[in-house]
Amino acid sequence: MKIFHLPDLGEGLAEAEIREWYVKVGDVVTVDQPLVSMETAKAVVDVPSPYAGKIAQLFGKDNDIIQTNAPLVGFESDKIKQDEGSVVGKLEKSESKWDDGDVIIGQAKTKLTEVNKIMPAARVLAKEMNIDLALVVPTGPQGLITVGDVKKLLLERSSTSTAKHTETLHGVRRVMAQAMVQSSQEIVPVTIFEDADITSLPANVDLTVELLKAIVTAAKAEPALNAWFDGKTLERTLMDKINIGLAVDSKEGLFVPVIKEAEKCSHEELRKYIEDYKHAVANRSIAPSNMQGATITLSNFGMIAGRYATPIILPPTVAIIACGRTREAALCRKGKLIAGRIMPLSLTFDHRAVTGGEATRFLKEIIRYLEKE
Amino acid sequence: MPEITLVEAVTQALAYEMQNDPNVVVMGEDVGKDGGVFRATQGLLDKFGSQRVLDTPLAESMIGGMAVGMAIRGLKPVAEFQFMGFIYPAMDQIINHAARIRNRTRGRLTCPVVFRAPFGAGIHAPEHHSESTEALFAHIPGLRVVIPSSPRRAYGLLLAAIRDPDPVIFLEPSRLYRFAKQEVNDDGNALPLDVCFTLRTGQDVTLVTWGAMVKETLAAADKLNDEGVSAEVIDVATIKPLDIETILASVEKTGRCIIIHEAPLTGGVGADIVALVAERALFTLKAPPVRVTGFDTIVPYARMEKYYIPSEKKIMNAVHRLMEFT
Amino acid sequence: MLNIGIKKDEKGVLEVKIIERFEVAYYQYLNEESHLTHDFPALAHDIQSLLQLYRLMVLVRTMDTKAIALQRTGKLGTYPSTRGQEAVFVGVGHAMQKNDIYVPYYRDMGTLIQRGVKLSQILLYWGGDERGNVFGNESNDFPFSVPVGSQPLHAVGAAYAMKYKKEKGAVVSMCGDGATSQGDFYEAMNVAGMWKLPVVFIICNNQWAISVPRDQQTATPTLAQKSIAAGFIGEQVDGNDIIAVQHRTVEALKSAREKGEPRLLEMVCYRQHDHTTADDASRYEPKDRREQEWKKEPVARLRHYLEQQNAWSEKQEELLRAECALEVDEAVKEYQGMPSQPLESMFDYLYAQLPKAYSEQRHMLKEMEEDLRHA
Repeated sequence: MKIFHLPDLGEGLAEAEIREWYVKVGDVVTVDQPLVSMETAKAVVDVPSPYAGKIAQLFGKDNDIIQTNAPLVGFESDKIKQDEGSVVGKLEKSESKWDDGDVIIGQAKTKLTEVNKIMPAARVLAKEMNIDLALVVPTGPQGLITVGDVKKLLLERSSTSTAKHTETLHGVRRVMAQAMVQSSQEIVPVTIFEDADITSLPANVDLTVELLKAIVTAAKAEPALNAWFDGKTLERTLMDKINIGLAVDSKEGLFVPVIKEAEKCSHEELRKYIEDYKHAVANRSIAPSNMQGATITLSNFGMIAGRYATPIILPPTVAIIACGRTREAALCRKGKLIAGRIMPLSLTFDHRAVTGGEATRFLKEIIRYLEKE
Repeated sequence: MPEITLVEAVTQALAYEMQNDPNVVVMGEDVGKDGGVFRATQGLLDKFGSQRVLDTPLAESMIGGMAVGMAIRGLKPVAEFQFMGFIYPAMDQIINHAARIRNRTRGRLTCPVVFRAPFGAGIHAPEHHSESTEALFAHIPGLRVVIPSSPRRAYGLLLAAIRDPDPVIFLEPSRLYRFAKQEVNDDGNALPLDVCFTLRTGQDVTLVTWGAMVKETLAAADKLNDEGVSAEVIDVATIKPLDIETILASVEKTGRCIIIHEAPLTGGVGADIVALVAERALFTLKAPPVRVTGFDTIVPYARMEKYYIPSEKKIMNAVHRLMEFT
Repeated sequence: MLNIGIKKDEKGVLEVKIIERFEVAYYQYLNEESHLTHDFPALAHDIQSLLQLYRLMVLVRTMDTKAIALQRTGKLGTYPSTRGQEAVFVGVGHAMQKNDIYVPYYRDMGTLIQRGVKLSQILLYWGGDERGNVFGNESNDFPFSVPVGSQPLHAVGAAYAMKYKKEKGAVVSMCGDGATSQGDFYEAMNVAGMWKLPVVFIICNNQWAISVPRDQQTATPTLAQKSIAAGFIGEQVDGNDIIAVQHRTVEALKSAREKGEPRLLEMVCYRQHDHTTADDASRYEPKDRREQEWKKEPVARLRHYLEQQNAWSEKQEELLRAECALEVDEAVKEYQGMPSQPLESMFDYLYAQLPKAYSEQRHMLKEMEEDLRHA
């Protein structure tokens, strides 16, 4: 046990009386914590603890007289020295543990989502003018959005509202125009048309979701159509994941949000994706990251009108499926005429990377999926 | 494994290295018999004898210069300056000699010396005992400046400093000396120099700090977490040479950066970091990079000392201001 | 200079020519048994002055004891005791004249209180308040010096200024035994000797520099002889004999003031407490050493002498103690009653006029101060 003796409380007197203990045996105290109130001839003084530790013994009760330098308080001594260890000042001592947590040497390796590079002035302008930076086309180096880029978008907004005849395309329309040109210049498209007999499908079936499921099945059977092709290097990459781009129409133009890893999605998840994306496109809150990474595309243009089409492939994918308007039709089965339902399908494929055989087998898989169900 | 304080970790590292490298010699005022005024060299005299643990006469310039000579001739001196405030008489030896000898002799002579000193305010000491002037050394080419903030890092970084073939200024935050304990394995494993340590990961703001301010910064980060703001906390540790890559990667992620140091604002190391962040990460910043630091005053005596040291509240206020930028 | 001349011994070998010899004198008038060993100086018979010196030493001791107790009860910061060294500081202070300048280190209460510094101010300094270094606005003395051994150079500068302005005075540079290892100490003495500056270097050799004993600080048997390398006289004095302290200081100051010849005085005493209240000397100080040295302590020594001269009684002792206790109490009250400086004062003494660049930070502190007041 380490004993703390009553220090000279400064009155030059030989003793002092215990007025009141502030601690009891077993208490854990910190340095400077008042232990006891002592009365000398003239004053009542608090005696602070010289150590941090646990009280083992009190050498007196209230009203006892203690001589200067006589034992006052006993502390439980531990292996670690109680020595103050200083020559000036007072070091804060704590019994608490230093909690480092998980210390990483160097950078924290977290998944970096898209890092948007934006000039600070552009950021401020966009915020003040309520511009969605996702809609701004960057023209600065390395994808930097400049003030000029934001201003262009602003101009476009104001110009459409005054209904001029000519307008320079901006934003999504501009991107669409540029992408279409690129596509037609590079790709060698061939289109196959076919009908799917969906007479046996229940009336309330979610056709778009079935189509997506059909595409997944077909892509597994014929992976050549779920690929990326680089026309310059002539490199083809078969993709493990099936990310289906879903063409969605809006006032601004064509958006193609991507359903990532469609092969892992249930019916409900697919429907949710479709609904979410429809809403996101409608209120212009779709994030750029959601419009990237498609491995194959579906265009459901038939919601409005049209049977067959030659849809444009979006590079670097090599295939796009278009679904026209379903209709009632006269069908011949085993020589008998029946009233059935038809879903017209068009498959455009890039003949640089996909063979006719691969494409037709792909289409057959789609139809088989739809007709089996 | 016993849990030890930061100052005990210093002792542990010194004992380990002295055991394994007969060239390591500890020197300074009151480091032998007294074990150092903070007990950082406790027990070393008994263990290694008076040839290797030197109670020097009271002369800082002598300590600096003699250590340089010893190091050039193949010893590995670990010289203590009792407080950073008393390192200044040795500046000539450190700047004109320790930092320069390798360069001047094109590598023929080198100076593997460690100059260690307790530094920083917050222990209610008389004047001159609370200095935080690491920027002076950070400015000198040829030196390394290393500042631990936990017992484990004190152990690992001191070992690294002693083993490093070039001069290291090793500054130990005195107000963390006995504050809290940690298990520190006495396995002789050094931590890497020249690299930052990410203590907390987060998405909303990057807090860059070192030394005793790590304590306040972590406390602020915890409170911010409760508010739904996730802060990434980086302990720079090696102030010079600076691992800016770790800081930049973090700033690119969070878009907000605050540097916290006890040293006065002007000419502090925080200014260097802000400059680098502005030069290289400007376009990913959502808000200006700012510093929370000591005032541009002489560290006040004990009575006003606590108002000088940046508080948890000050750090949190700075974060709140930056979070207004979205 | 002793020139023995060239001689050859019987074997025909050249004898070495001694070109310089040095002596270091030791002074003690009142010995350990409180007997006068030499009949001069006049001070030994000047009972009034001796009583004054005695009172001052008792006051210093009382204040010192109180300061330690204040620190132990959390009311004062780290404090370096002057216990056992009262004769050195009181004697030096008594020997100095008003227009001399004093350059202290940090145990100098005994000198400072004779030169216009209030006891409450000394408490203020160790209590962590910058105003403790103010010393009274009329004072020309230098403030406490914490970086050991840095102040002798300041003393030398002050001496040069005095000489330059043709002022009639001398400078006293006070330091401890540890400081004599610092380069600054030698540089100060060297230039003082070279330029014949009116400065007296005094070492309070209390035989400890924190944990380093005197014999591990330097190889020379005396510290006094370090002046030889600087070209002037060094004397060793019994620091427990206030008569010797006072007398040798007076003589040294005369030499400096009138002839521009500096002097080094080594006052040998003993540190009768830890280095500071935060130190623990039991770790390195040989047991019983302090008790042994206490037999030579200066206050009792003078008292016994005064009693032998029938100049002091038990009753007078009681009275003095009570007076000192009262004076110390007043000082403590004054110290504790002093309101803290406002926080913005951190900026108010950096420059003659605070540059614009820092007004914002000062304002921040002002606001913090107001918040504190309202809290």
